[in-house]
Amino acid sequence: MRMTAALFLVTLAVVAAGITDKRLQNAQADPATWLTYGKNYYGWRYSSLAEINTATVSRLAPQWIHQTGFSGSHETTPLVFGGMMFLTGPSNSAAALDLLTGKEVWQYHKKPPSGLNLCCGQPNRGFAALGDRLFKVNIEATLVALDARSGALLWEKPIADHRKGFSATGAPLVVKNKVLVGVAGAEFGTRGFVDAYDSATGERAWRFYTVAAKGEPGGDTWPGDAWQRGGGSTWITGTYDPDLNLTYWGTGNPGPGLDGDVRAGDNLYTCSLVALDADTGHLKWFYQFTPHDTHDWDAVADPVLIDTTVKGRTVKAVVQADRNGFFYAIDRANGKLLHATPYTKVSWASGIGGDGRPVLIPGAEPSDAGTKACPGLGGGHNWSATAFSPQSQLFYFNSTDGCALYYRNKQEYREGQWYQASTADAIPNEPPAGSVVAVDLATGKTKWRFEMVSPASAGMLATAGGLVFTGDGQGYFIALDAGTGKPLWHFQTGGQIIAPPITYTLNGKQQIAIATGTSMMTFALMN
Amino acid sequence: MLYRLAICALACAAAGAQTRTNPFAGSPEVAESGRAVFRVYCTPCHGIRAQGGHGPDLTRGVYSHGGSDDDLFRTISDGVAGTEMPEFKGDINEADIWRIIVFLRSIARHDAAGIPGDRARGEALFWGKGACGQCHQVHAKGGHLGPDLTRIGVERSLAYLRESVIDPNARVEDGYATVTVIRLDGTRLVGVERGFDNFSVQLMDAGGNYYSFLRTGIKSARREFRSLMPDNYGRLFQPAQLDDLIAYLTSLRGGEAPQ
Repeated sequence: MRMTAALFLVTLAVVAAGITDKRLQNAQADPATWLTYGKNYYGWRYSSLAEINTATVSRLAPQWIHQTGFSGSHETTPLVFGGMMFLTGPSNSAAALDLLTGKEVWQYHKKPPSGLNLCCGQPNRGFAALGDRLFKVNIEATLVALDARSGALLWEKPIADHRKGFSATGAPLVVKNKVLVGVAGAEFGTRGFVDAYDSATGERAWRFYTVAAKGEPGGDTWPGDAWQRGGGSTWITGTYDPDLNLTYWGTGNPGPGLDGDVRAGDNLYTCSLVALDADTGHLKWFYQFTPHDTHDWDAVADPVLIDTTVKGRTVKAVVQADRNGFFYAIDRANGKLLHATPYTKVSWASGIGGDGRPVLIPGAEPSDAGTKACPGLGGGHNWSATAFSPQSQLFYFNSTDGCALYYRNKQEYREGQWYQASTADAIPNEPPAGSVVAVDLATGKTKWRFEMVSPASAGMLATAGGLVFTGDGQGYFIALDAGTGKPLWHFQTGGQIIAPPITYTLNGKQQIAIATGTSMMTFALMN
Repeated sequence: MLYRLAICALACAAAGAQTRTNPFAGSPEVAESGRAVFRVYCTPCHGIRAQGGHGPDLTRGVYSHGGSDDDLFRTISDGVAGTEMPEFKGDINEADIWRIIVFLRSIARHDAAGIPGDRARGEALFWGKGACGQCHQVHAKGGHLGPDLTRIGVERSLAYLRESVIDPNARVEDGYATVTVIRLDGTRLVGVERGFDNFSVQLMDAGGNYYSFLRTGIKSARREFRSLMPDNYGRLFQPAQLDDLIAYLTSLRGGEAPQ
């Protein structure tokens, strides 16, 4: 009993030591933990741990499996510190697990309200942490602060009105003393934004609307009052550059998604990357990937911050594998395009011009009878987490490789109701394939491609062991050679994998964790 | 305990007595907005024109789990246990479920009774001249290579059934592609897909034999979206015989096997 009490005190002390702004800024130098959604503020999802490497990965074996008991899609990036793993689940659920055994330490659950307007179920992609607090969004568009030691609710603040179609699914991003969050809901005629909240009180510090209002800069890219229901969701976590004090967020499709006639113009700042002052939320610059999108190609994929060499010049870049089928590298100080290259089959644009705008190929617009266009509705690379390895200088992400038939119809807007003005359908006998793509950052060209029989939604993890970890929809957890894409190891987990893997150490030994099906699994090398 | 039972009895009685009515019934404008909602949520299984895919054809005005507005609302809201129909009450609000139902009413043709052809003659062709039963099951009788057709009459539209008989390659359903495996010794095996993932392959050959391979244990595996079903039924059968066969297929609605 005394020993248990002593252990408890040690664990408590470790958690109580808490997460500081400094620790978050130096997260990359602390491979024992996983403190924020993208591993570091830059969103690399890279670890310097190399115990598990190309030579040893064949000895990788399960350590424990925790059945969460939460039904629905598990898309969480767990956080690891203080001897615990903190994970979120679907439908307003979360838990803390003992890192050694996988046993549950505490659980949080709040029943979602009825009558939610949702496009895509009730997933949640993870916590953010600061001090002794954990922050997560709830599906009804609220922000919650929990005590990391007990799971006790400290406060819950509304982000937006779920009855109007707003919801929230992404992991928050802590910057200094603020908690930054995005929203979902463009399918319901909402007007998206990025918010920042005081981490102590939950009071809102600033809001940046991703759809420019009439009279504002960019407001002239919307006709009439179309901006009021212009979409631009922000459902994937942004990144942060402490030196520039800018936070980068991708924005979703304009609303209604597939009928562009009712919103003639570029529809700023939808399908864009926005760079915001982290203290004020003021727009520093934007880059629009798909002006006047009509294919639902949200630009929410991870904006990853990488210093790279382009044409002999070292550039502070932000890169994104966009849903529209192009990989982009952009100067993150000013928003100027460095290069853009297709990474999958693209039929709507022949390239990206010198002015940064796509060179359109006519005939790709959705129609009542259906129009074939590539990529499909989910895009090439969609939302799932990407990774960058400074060791290989490659950027890793999954891709859906195929086309779809795009339909549109006229649709009247009603507050809180579905407002996409149609959808896409599969092409008979042409199901899309999937792949893991490795892009050379200097050129944007694909270095290698691991072909998959069907599209995967699992995220990526790159390590100094020369490995890239990912998963597939059939339940395989996979390790690829980071330099060549050759599969080196796989394990059938028995559950669909749509979450990103993470890595950390336990008693000095490297561990890999991944959510699969409705469980959390960890792996380490067999002795 | 008695108190709980009494409450339950009251609640159950109330639930049983309460029949929901569609607040938008008959409105053409609402049917159009219902179509928009249908296209998003229902298209993946029921097809862009509601003529069936994974899920049943909804244009025929025949519904497996009750045809009243209240029944349809329950089916969409709660799903159907034991089938692929999921519950949508967490995703689609009540007003939009009613709009979908108005849309379904607007496209229902109620033409099930007008199918040409003779069911009994079609059944004889199915098990006789067509030899369809060599690969397809109906009420647990027949082969295993192709899809079980016991409920095909409520799962697919007339147009879909006719197309599938005449041109089986037009749209090959998930899980019924043709898989060719070349073993390490160079021998070739062709069958219907029973599994095809990044690290393994499963198939069933024409003899009903099941095979499973790790990709590391074979030379190659190829999946083609063509059917192993013969594509000569359009020539084998006279037009009237095709009508008979379709009439038989349309009559297959699950439940107990006819005695």
